[in-house]
Amino acid sequence: MDVDEIEEEEFGFSRNYFLAKELGSSSRKKSARKLSEIDLVDEEELREVAASIEPKHEKEVNELISSYQSLYSKWLFVLRSGFALLMYGFGSKKALIEDFASKSLTEYSVVVVNGYLQSINLKQVVITLAELLWDQVKLRQKTTSGSLCKSQQPFNTRSMSDLLTFLDSPDLEVEDCFVCILVHNIDGPGLRDSDSQQCLASIAACSHVRMVASIDHVNAPLLWDKKMVHTQFDWYWCHVPTFAPYKVESMFFPFILAHGGSAQSVKTASIVLQSLTPNAQNVFKVLAEHQLAHPDEEGMPINNLYSTCRERFLVSSQVTLNSHLTEFKDHELIKTKRNSDGQDCLCIPLTNEALQKLIADIV
Amino acid sequence: MYSPNEHPPTDPLAENNLQPFFVLHKASKSSESTAVTPGRATKRRLDSSSKVSLSNENLKMEAFRCVWSKIESKIKDVLRSINASVFDEIGQWVRESFNEICSCRGPVDPSNSSLPYPFVHNGGLVKKLFTGLVFTKNIETVDDILTFAELGLHLKSHGCYVANISSLDFSTKNGIGGCLRAFLRQLLMVDIEAADVSLLASWYSDHGKYEKPVVVIIEDMERCSGAILSDFINMLSEWSVKIPIILIAGVATSADAPRNVLTSRALQYLSTSIFSLKCPAERLDAIIETVLVKNCAGFSVGHKVATFLRNYFLRQDGTVSSFVRALKMAIVQQLSIEPLSFVLKLSVDERDSKRSWHEDLANLPEELIKHSFELPSYKKYSVNRNNYVELNATSLGHGLSEMQRLQELWRSCLMCLYEAGRYHKVALLDLYLEALDPELYNSRLSNHGCDSAKDRSLLSNNDKLFKLQKAEVTNQVIRKMRDLPAAKLSQLLKSWERFTEGSMEVHEKIMELQSQMVSEDVKGHKAELTDISKRHISRRGLNVEKDACTSNDKAATLAGQMIRDSMQPIECIPFHELVCFKDVDNLQSALAGDPRRRIQIDLLNFYKILKCGCCSNSGGTLSPSMHETSIMYTLAQEHGDLINLHDWFQSFKASISSSGNKGLKKLASPKKRKENTSSQNNSDALLQARFCRAVMELQITGLLRMPSKRRPDCVQRVAFGV
Repeated sequence: MDVDEIEEEEFGFSRNYFLAKELGSSSRKKSARKLSEIDLVDEEELREVAASIEPKHEKEVNELISSYQSLYSKWLFVLRSGFALLMYGFGSKKALIEDFASKSLTEYSVVVVNGYLQSINLKQVVITLAELLWDQVKLRQKTTSGSLCKSQQPFNTRSMSDLLTFLDSPDLEVEDCFVCILVHNIDGPGLRDSDSQQCLASIAACSHVRMVASIDHVNAPLLWDKKMVHTQFDWYWCHVPTFAPYKVESMFFPFILAHGGSAQSVKTASIVLQSLTPNAQNVFKVLAEHQLAHPDEEGMPINNLYSTCRERFLVSSQVTLNSHLTEFKDHELIKTKRNSDGQDCLCIPLTNEALQKLIADIV
Repeated sequence: MYSPNEHPPTDPLAENNLQPFFVLHKASKSSESTAVTPGRATKRRLDSSSKVSLSNENLKMEAFRCVWSKIESKIKDVLRSINASVFDEIGQWVRESFNEICSCRGPVDPSNSSLPYPFVHNGGLVKKLFTGLVFTKNIETVDDILTFAELGLHLKSHGCYVANISSLDFSTKNGIGGCLRAFLRQLLMVDIEAADVSLLASWYSDHGKYEKPVVVIIEDMERCSGAILSDFINMLSEWSVKIPIILIAGVATSADAPRNVLTSRALQYLSTSIFSLKCPAERLDAIIETVLVKNCAGFSVGHKVATFLRNYFLRQDGTVSSFVRALKMAIVQQLSIEPLSFVLKLSVDERDSKRSWHEDLANLPEELIKHSFELPSYKKYSVNRNNYVELNATSLGHGLSEMQRLQELWRSCLMCLYEAGRYHKVALLDLYLEALDPELYNSRLSNHGCDSAKDRSLLSNNDKLFKLQKAEVTNQVIRKMRDLPAAKLSQLLKSWERFTEGSMEVHEKIMELQSQMVSEDVKGHKAELTDISKRHISRRGLNVEKDACTSNDKAATLAGQMIRDSMQPIECIPFHELVCFKDVDNLQSALAGDPRRRIQIDLLNFYKILKCGCCSNSGGTLSPSMHETSIMYTLAQEHGDLINLHDWFQSFKASISSSGNKGLKKLASPKKRKENTSSQNNSDALLQARFCRAVMELQITGLLRMPSKRRPDCVQRVAFGV
């Protein structure tokens, strides 16, 4: 049992509890229909069509979004008071937040972080924030009176904690001087780990930084402990459903009807196999051919595999075979099962079609 | 990927969408104009009165800064004074420990100070590490972050080198280097990649000259990685003679904590002493007393808000920081809801500089003054009074002053009650809540009125009695007053006298009662002197007892009177809307959002939010015009924990296309109609694309888990029940 399955099993217990509590659970639909029964269109076509879907209720959605404009002045006041804004509710809030920033936050520099992307370098973000704040301070001091005495070490060579100290420095005695950071999807895949969240929290805690962030995941608050919530982020929650389509946010999500799973695994499997020796590839092919020929069996018993491979001069000993098998297992190309006779059997966790495609690939 | 009418990929905005981050815009130059000094800005704004209503944003901001900085500093003072005794105790202990370390060490040879092991002249090897365990009595460390920071400052001001190391620095990921770096950073003020204690030792022999101890404060011992903390302690103990280090660690649970966290080797070096902080409830009481009861900034909250804050503290969060946060949020909301609420600033100014606010009020524009007389509280008041008052700034000023006077009275009476309750450990929070309740006040008033009028229906009376019973804590305090011994009673009256100095009417009554007591006392005394017969003494004893009884009764009656006559809750006073925050729903939703519930409700009741004509009257049935993700989520409700993708797709298809083609046609754009007439395959693709997109959106909201390898044809529902 791999980790995924264990987790799933544990998840099951709690799920059953809630299901039992839900009303009408007896009338649940149970069905074992296969997805492949639907006549699925090609992924390319699907993506093409998806991009041109006519949005429903476009007028109402636009009205709803523009109705939030009346809240802009309140949000600005909240930000200036030292809170951070956290936008939640169904629908993409990207356009809304950026509109708010370009209409109401003109007096402050604004950095936008796209948290829906896969990887984000927060250090770079902090450097940019520091540079912007520095510009802003220079601008103000020029207009008021004094000259800036301190000669600065360039920000991009400083350490993270130095930068944060600068953003938090109490000696920048300019009233109401801050830079804004907008984080779309602060619960996004690139920011979901605890280090990033700690880092974001310490950015938000700086006295010269204000944060506006959005969340979409229902469990997003679990990312933060009380210290982060009460003393660092200091969220002011705003419920702003927009029902706007998640166009950009869903860019990297797979299409569920696109055979996404199997296509992907064939691709990765063939990449792995191509990097192995020809002998190893052939061992895998023996296994695959057996599986295709005997679709109803649990898999190929290891002994049979060994004898077949020996016959074809693919391996010289059990040890070499085992080393190949370990390699396969590490890359999740094969799984071990026990059949009804108690023998250990090997099988490839792919559908027959996928397997055929894979063999065609590696020939 | 981009539809033709959207931004084409060359659009800079679209490119920005793929950047991890980008600068949206830089601060515009208009910001210069706002960077004027705050004081002048108000003056000018108030003078040019026509501008006030238009651009009172800055006015609001100033009011907020002024009010909040006042409250914040008060809170800090309160917390500091609560901790003062413990801090002194710790400071004393640090000095003693330092002296002990010094006495073991003897004269120092600075030449070899960068080697760990000591050059001890008298006595053997000392590896003891003095450790102060500070019990926080609070499982939430949030509240203690500030406390430990303050402790650091306190010790610094008493001649120690202090480093506050957070428990995050003791993580297995960063290893011992992490905490050492944080340690050196604070003392040496430099960031060193290869941190080493010998650096500290040489720094100490240069700077410290063995005159000051080095104190290391760790906020929460139990959150540290045990192995790293043990290593750290082992290391410090090796250097303990070279560098007189004293460790202070916060402990949330019990004295067992070090044993649970540390290795036995590290444990043996510790020489522990124990200190305790005050518990959160005590701190909260103190904050409520200064901020809301003594009302340092003129800001107060309504009964419902106070009840919410109390329940949030007791049942959900339990941290003082969240209470303070909620208070700040309430002020922000009050200022953004109520246009005239910047009078809060005037009241703070008045308190500080004794400057009258009448002239400031006189400069207000007409409309704002008018607005203040249209507040429900004033309307109610003026209907009751039925007298004609000129609606101008002067009468508003009078109204506000009257409100302040009544509040002062209310406050002093509440403090009297609290003082009386102190003998039975009554929490101020409970008394405060009852004193704020307008219903309770009104029912008390009418009950009293009915008593004298002798006409009341049985039913309403019961109702009132029930309401009065709600004032449990207050009634209990009064009841218990009857049992107070004479000495305590007179002590109590003395403190009452002090509390009510500002308000004459109550003050006089208390003085009267006190003088009665004194005269009785004197009478008793005289009796004692003159009367020598034993029989008489015993009689006199009884008498005194009886007298005490009556003076207790009198005091209790007086308290009852005070509650009835002088404790008018703020919500019963005209113009209270200007300074009293009542919008509990708004506060609650801003304080802690409930994404899990709200996002599901958004999806299930989307037509209520979008207010579209086509879907709202469809009732429970799904109409094809509905938002797709909404349809999908509604359909998902019919499934169990697993949703078969095939079935889901089929029912989605059915509800999109079935009930009607007519609905679809009505909605369909020309483009879509064209698609309909074109190949069947294309519409299938469209349907599948819509299905896929809806699944994606549900996946983004986290309401679905994607198919596992084991069950490739099913997705899992995650949320059950709204």
